Amino acid sequence: MSVTTKAAVPAGTTPPAPRSTVSDGGSGIGRLVRRLFSQRTLPYLLLLPATATILVMLGWPVLSVVLTSFQKLDLGELVSGRVVWNGLANYQSILTDSAFWQDALRTVLFTAACVVCTVGGGLVVALLMKHVHGWVRVVLQLALVLAWAMPILAATTVFQWMFDQNYGILNKTLVELGFTGFHHYSWFQTGLSTMTVIVILITWQGIPFVAFTLYAGVLGVPTDLYEAAGLDGASSWQTFRSVTWTALRPLVNVVTFLSLLWDFKVFTQVWAIRQGGPDGGSQTLPTLQYLKGIATSHFGAAAAVSVIMILALVVLTAQNLRLMLRTEEVD
Amino acid sequence: MGRTKKRLVSVVGLLVAVLFAFPIYWMVTTALKPANQLLSDSYDLVPLGVTFQHFVDGVSKQGFLNSLQNSLIVALAAVAFALVAGLLAAVPLARLRFRGRKGFLLLVLVAQMAPFEALLIPMFLMIRSFDLLNALPGLILVYFAAALPFTAWTLRGFVKGIPVDLEEAAMVDGCGRWAAFRRVTLPLLGPGLVATSVFSFVTAWNEFLYALTFMQDPGNVTLPVWLSSFVSVFGTDWGGAMAASTVFTVPVLVFFLFVQRNLVSGATAGAVKG
Repeated sequence: MSVTTKAAVPAGTTPPAPRSTVSDGGSGIGRLVRRLFSQRTLPYLLLLPATATILVMLGWPVLSVVLTSFQKLDLGELVSGRVVWNGLANYQSILTDSAFWQDALRTVLFTAACVVCTVGGGLVVALLMKHVHGWVRVVLQLALVLAWAMPILAATTVFQWMFDQNYGILNKTLVELGFTGFHHYSWFQTGLSTMTVIVILITWQGIPFVAFTLYAGVLGVPTDLYEAAGLDGASSWQTFRSVTWTALRPLVNVVTFLSLLWDFKVFTQVWAIRQGGPDGGSQTLPTLQYLKGIATSHFGAAAAVSVIMILALVVLTAQNLRLMLRTEEVD
Repeated sequence: MGRTKKRLVSVVGLLVAVLFAFPIYWMVTTALKPANQLLSDSYDLVPLGVTFQHFVDGVSKQGFLNSLQNSLIVALAAVAFALVAGLLAAVPLARLRFRGRKGFLLLVLVAQMAPFEALLIPMFLMIRSFDLLNALPGLILVYFAAALPFTAWTLRGFVKGIPVDLEEAAMVDGCGRWAAFRRVTLPLLGPGLVATSVFSFVTAWNEFLYALTFMQDPGNVTLPVWLSSFVSVFGTDWGGAMAASTVFTVPVLVFFLFVQRNLVSGATAGAVKG
C-alpha cells in the first residue's frame, strides 16, 4: 500500500542511540526476551493467540453448524443438554417446504437485483468521476464518502423516514412532480415494494466502494490507448468498449463477486425494515435462519438453513476462483 | 470530449452527488427541525427553524446513553484485542522463516472468508455454553474473532512494507532484535495500525445480527439494536430517531474523513492485486 511506502523512509528516523541498548542488554527481561528470540519456538508462540482464536471461534463453529444440522435441537434438548441425532430429517423438512423454496428464490432474485444495481451504478459513477470538472469530482467523492461512512442502521432508519407513508419526503416529492398516485402511498404494503426499498438502500450503500475501486481502475488505463483510439476515429462508445471495458473487466469481476457474497448474506437491513414482513413477503434465507433458530428455538432446522447458505457461498467462491484463474491464464 | 458535453456530464455528476448526500442532509435537517414542522403536509426541503430539542429528547430517551456506552466498550475492546493478537501474528508471518509458515498464512487467508452471518446458530450455542449470553464479553469475543483475520493479514502487509534493512541497521548499531522492532518497526507501523483499527471499529460499530441475538436484556443492547427498536416503539418521533441516528453517525464520519485516503487506496490496492 502506498501509505506504507511513504511512511517507510521518514527523514527523522535514525537507528536508536547505543545508550539505550546497553540498558536493554543489562536488564533481566531483555536477556529473557533475547533468549526467547533465539529459540525456534518463538514464531509459534507469537502465532498462538491468533491461531487459537481462529480455530476455536471460527473453525469449531463451522464444524458445529454441520453437526447441529443433523440433530433435533429444540428448546427441550437445549435445556436438558441431550444430543439427539435425527439424520437428514431437518433437511428433509426444509427442502420439502414450499415456503423455504419461495424464500430461497426471493433471496436469489434479491441478491441479483442488488448486485446488478450496485455494480452497474458503481461503473456509471466511476466513469462520471473521470469525465466531470475537477471541482464536481471533489463534491461527488465527498458525497460518496458520506454515504459510505453512514452506519448501516442509521441509513436504514433514515430510509424508513424518507419512505414514510404520510410524511415521507419521497411521496411528497413524487406528488409535487405530478405523480398524485403516491399521495400517502404505502411502500411497505407488499413484499415486492418492501424488497424494492431494501434494494435501493443496499445499492445506495454499496455503490461508493464499487465506484472508488473502479475509478482507480479507470485512472490506471494508459492514456495513449485513448489517444490511439481517437486517432483511429473511434466513437466514444467504441472507445469505452475496446479500451475502458477491456481494462476494467478483471476489476468488475472482483467487485461483482464481492457484492454477491455481501448481498447474499444481508440480514441487518432486511430485518430492521420490516422483520421479513409484511406476512413473510420480504423474508430471505438469513432472516429465515434467525427466525427458525433464535426466535422460535429450532436450532437444528436453522443450522440446516445455515449449511445450505454456506454451500451456496462456497459454490460462489469456487466459481469466482476459477474465473480469476482463467482470466489470469488468458492474460 | 466537447465542452458542452463535459458541462452536461458535470451536471449529471452533481445530481448524483446530491442523490448520495441527500439521506445525510435529510437526517441532520430532520433532527434540527421544530416538531410542529415534521409531521406536516407542506413541501419543505429547507428547514424554516432550528431546534436542538430532538437531540435533548433523543439522548435522554430510555437506554440511549447506556447503549452508546455498550457500543463503545464492545467496539473498542474488540479492536484492541484484534490489534494485539493480529500484530503478534503479523510479525512472524512477515519476517521470520519457520516450518509451517505457509500453513498459517493459508489459515489466516481462509479465515477471512468465514461467513459469519451463516454461523449464527453454532456461535449462539457456543457463547451460551460459555455462559456469556446477554453479557458484553460474549459480543466482544465474536467481534474480536471477526476482526482478527483481516487485522493479521493487513498488518502483515504493512510489516512487509517496512524494509528489513532498517531493523538490521539498528541491530548493527547494537540494538537487540526486540529493541530494533520496538524502536524502528513499531513506530513506522502507525498508519497501518490506524487503518486496520478503523476498519474493525466500524465493523463492530455496525454489527446488528449478533447484538440482536445475544443481548436479550434491554440494558445490554448496543446502539444499532436500540435504534432499530426505537423506530418501532416511537413510530412517529422521527425528530428523535434522526437525532439519535446523527449521534450514531458522527464517530464513524470523523474516522472516515480522517483515514479516507488510506481507505480508498487500501481497498483499491487489494482489488488490483486481485
